[in-house]
Amino acid sequence: MKKKYLILTILVGLFTTNTVFAQDHISPERKQAIDSLALEKVRDLSKYISIVGSKSTPWSEANRVIDRAEELFMQGAEIGVSSIASPTINYYSVRKYLERLMRLNYDRVEIEWFKIEYVSDLQRQPDGTYVGVITIFQKFRGFDSEGGIVYEDTTRKDITVYVKRKETQIGGRIIGFWDVLLGDMRVKETSR
Amino acid sequence: MKKKQMMRQLGRFGLILLIAAIGLGGNTGCKSKKKLAREQAAAEYAARVEQATRDLTSILNDQTDWTLDQKETRFNTIKSWNLQDEEVLRLLDLVEDKLARERAEAERKAEEERLRRVEDERQRAEAARYAPIENHFIAVAGAPDFNSSNERIAQALQLFATPDVPVLIIISQAGGFNDYDRPTTIRKYLDYLKDQKAYSNRIEQVKYDANGKIIELELIKK
Repeated sequence: MKKKYLILTILVGLFTTNTVFAQDHISPERKQAIDSLALEKVRDLSKYISIVGSKSTPWSEANRVIDRAEELFMQGAEIGVSSIASPTINYYSVRKYLERLMRLNYDRVEIEWFKIEYVSDLQRQPDGTYVGVITIFQKFRGFDSEGGIVYEDTTRKDITVYVKRKETQIGGRIIGFWDVLLGDMRVKETSR
Repeated sequence: MKKKQMMRQLGRFGLILLIAAIGLGGNTGCKSKKKLAREQAAAEYAARVEQATRDLTSILNDQTDWTLDQKETRFNTIKSWNLQDEEVLRLLDLVEDKLARERAEAERKAEEERLRRVEDERQRAEAARYAPIENHFIAVAGAPDFNSSNERIAQALQLFATPDVPVLIIISQAGGFNDYDRPTTIRKYLDYLKDQKAYSNRIEQVKYDANGKIIELELIKK
């Protein structure tokens, strides 16, 4: 009986060690896949912002996209808003930011993100979460009814990304997945 | 009379001398031929040693453009010469090891290539099998406006048991171990295609219910 317990303990120990090892020491290929996944989420956000900002997007679609965009962020995450007219940077919750964007007082809005890249690689934290910073440049243009540019600026923003390994049960099997969540989006500089 | 006898004896002596000279001369000629043959053999041996050393060194230092088969043939030919030269024997050992390694590597690559072809074939077959589903995804992503993409989404949803059917997306595969993105539902995935205007995955696995409706979809990043 004791022998049985001993074998069981060893097996459980081996399984646990293996699981921890699989998460602690991920191969460069897996790490690269996670890096790409986080970048992809930021690109997805870029598309969502441009859809919400577009005046041609139907209201219902814009609201649906706001829900999708909100799901990309951690709870309580904030997005910074700056202007070339003022040195003040205001921070809003993700939903508030997107709702404000939807209601901007221009006839047409163009929002384009470019140079989306890591400024700080994903690093494993003691709790197993990978944290990194991705920087983006946002070109904003607001047009009037005649098609003239009323306002334009280019803002560099840093987004903190959190990637954590999680598990869920689907169809009777355990699925291990990497959950990417975006944190605060901080304004770094704004220029014309 | 005496003079005549003396002349005869002289003649006999001369004949003996002549025979002895011929005999002696013939023996010397035979010895020269053997020596020549020995020298020739030694020269041939030296040439083979030189040739073997040169070829084996070239193989060892990758200074030939021979294929592996050609290198092996050359190695076997040199080995069949049974040269007892110390340097050649040393080179033969080294080249034998090198060629064994190259052969193992070539066989490994050939096996990898075979497996890759099998996998490509499997993927092609899978792609053909799942083409009708993928065509819906491509149509949603490529729709020009929200109305058309919503129509395409409605059509695509007919293939699924419910709009909440889980969609799993593999982001990497290693050692029989899959890493997934956060699971989503088919409704959300189709909306995602509509918003992002791109379908950049391929179908890895589909599960159906008894009515032929999809109840689980597994995609993999291209």
